[in-house]
Amino acid sequence: MATVTYAKATRVYPGAKTPAVDALDLEIGDGEFLVLVGPSGCGKSTSLRMLAGLEDVNSGNIFINQNDVTHLPPKARDIAMVFQNYALYPHMSVYDNMAFALKLRKTPKSEIEARVKEAAKMLQLEEYLSRKPKALSGGQRQRVAMGRAIVRHPQVFLMDEPLSNLDAKLRVQTRSQIATMQAKLGVTTVYVTHDQVEAMTMGHRVAVLLDGHLQQVDTPRALYDRPANVFVAGFMGSPAMNIKTVGLTDQGAKFVDMLLPLTRDQVAAAQADGGNGRVTIGFRPEDTEIVGGLDKGMPITVDLVEELGSDAFVYGTVALEGQDERFTVRADPRKVPQLGEVVHVRPRPDSHHAFNAATGLRLG
Amino acid sequence: MRISRGLAHAAMLAWGVVTALPLLWAVLSSFKSDHEILTAPWSIPQHPQWTNWSRAWNEADIGRYFLNSAIVVGGALVLTMLLGALVAYALARYEFPGNRLVYHTFVAAMFFPVFLALVPLFFVVKQLHLLDTYAGLILVYAAYAVPFTVFFLHAFFRTLPSSIAEAAFLDGCGHGAVFFRIMLPMARPGLVAVGIFNFLGLWNQYLLPLVLNSDPDRYVLAQGLAALSVSQGYRSDWSGLFAGLTIAMIPVLVAYVAFQRHIRAGMTTGAVR
Repeated sequence: MATVTYAKATRVYPGAKTPAVDALDLEIGDGEFLVLVGPSGCGKSTSLRMLAGLEDVNSGNIFINQNDVTHLPPKARDIAMVFQNYALYPHMSVYDNMAFALKLRKTPKSEIEARVKEAAKMLQLEEYLSRKPKALSGGQRQRVAMGRAIVRHPQVFLMDEPLSNLDAKLRVQTRSQIATMQAKLGVTTVYVTHDQVEAMTMGHRVAVLLDGHLQQVDTPRALYDRPANVFVAGFMGSPAMNIKTVGLTDQGAKFVDMLLPLTRDQVAAAQADGGNGRVTIGFRPEDTEIVGGLDKGMPITVDLVEELGSDAFVYGTVALEGQDERFTVRADPRKVPQLGEVVHVRPRPDSHHAFNAATGLRLG
Repeated sequence: MRISRGLAHAAMLAWGVVTALPLLWAVLSSFKSDHEILTAPWSIPQHPQWTNWSRAWNEADIGRYFLNSAIVVGGALVLTMLLGALVAYALARYEFPGNRLVYHTFVAAMFFPVFLALVPLFFVVKQLHLLDTYAGLILVYAAYAVPFTVFFLHAFFRTLPSSIAEAAFLDGCGHGAVFFRIMLPMARPGLVAVGIFNFLGLWNQYLLPLVLNSDPDRYVLAQGLAALSVSQGYRSDWSGLFAGLTIAMIPVLVAYVAFQRHIRAGMTTGAVR
């Protein structure tokens, strides 16, 4: 049971000009499942490896339970990690893989056996205990890697994209297993992924990183409903939010004939910080409807329809200020428009998000 | 496609015959009488002469030379593999100033002609009072074999996934435990391959013992065989010589056959995806 705190933790790789992780401030509560998410190269894995002790911290500190672990070696931190490629010991059986850390700690043999058996049962690995990793399937290897972490009873679990080597179906299945297991064990967990669906479904809270900077950390619901900036807005949600920068009027933002209203405060904030008469507006495909032409929607020419059974997504273009812009709209799967058809679309009232055009920060 | 494969097979077959026939001929000759060797060199032995082997082993002192070789090569091999693996691992997996310099020094040493080193080497060993000793020969053999071992294992350690070492650090290993308990076992195919190579090279070593090891009691096999063929002059014991030759070949063949499976085995399969 432990809390984890990053205090201005910074990592600069030798020879690099900009930090891979820049003054990360993050508090993770006891028993919390925190997901670090972001595109590749955003510093999420580096942040995790700094906590593991596999990466130097150039400035700032990292605490586990108020203990400064910034410069402690990995073995002194009482943490367990699941690697993306599992990193099983190839010359050891499944049992020995899981027992290795306990043997190093001189745990009594009977207790090692009890703990390994318990973890093996939880992960349905009992019949494979005597096998070598190479005789296991990908999913089984992934579970051995999990088991190796579980038997340790560590203060913190670290997971570095543990599902990315599984096929799609197994990934969804394992995703829920990991979340269930974490809830049952109640061990503080830091989980790295580039997949926003994993982040949304697994995390109690999600921290979004870009270029080594923390963009926002909040519950999945809050990230989805109130993204703090344009990057978070575009990163969370699939298909991605429609985000366009358009001219600003006193009442709001103009999309052809469609006016999306903004409050007076929002307009004022949009003008500040070099907004220069422009505003960035985002609305999600699932918040957008196809409306009759009289409802002042925006006319788009349909160029692609994706039918998923439960949903249909309509992609269409419209000329905005002389440039062709593409929009995505969720449509009733039983009533999809034809290719080439012109339909009017409009976000539901008050469902659009507004951001400063220069800073990208949320307005109001 | 089929023609080129046929050509390749023919070439390999020819190579195999060229390599295997002299060996086979030596083995067959070791069972013949001297008369038979000279009159019917290509025939199968009519009456296998087992006494050739016992004569070589006992009277020609091949037994003692064999023991000397085993001690010297065995000691040198253990030393070479231990030092070579440690150096290669440190160079392959740790960044430190001078890393490349040390590595390139080893590579350069690999290409240094041993002939040029013979005279200074003789005096170094003499100053250390290690001439005509097992220890002297073991040390020189190890120094001779370490550069190639480092070169070979360095490449091998580089290919091992670093995440496995990291997992071991997190599991509670120090640097030593990571090396001996995780990385060294994973490097086994490489260790076996370079070990066999070193064994072959050192077992057949002639030049170094010729210079550094002049006491007939401590002759290694190559020296012993040479002495046997030279000293007998016209009073030749050809069958005994072939028997000695075959005895000298056996350990090499046995080592190769026993370990060839390990050379090919990919130990890292299954560690990572």
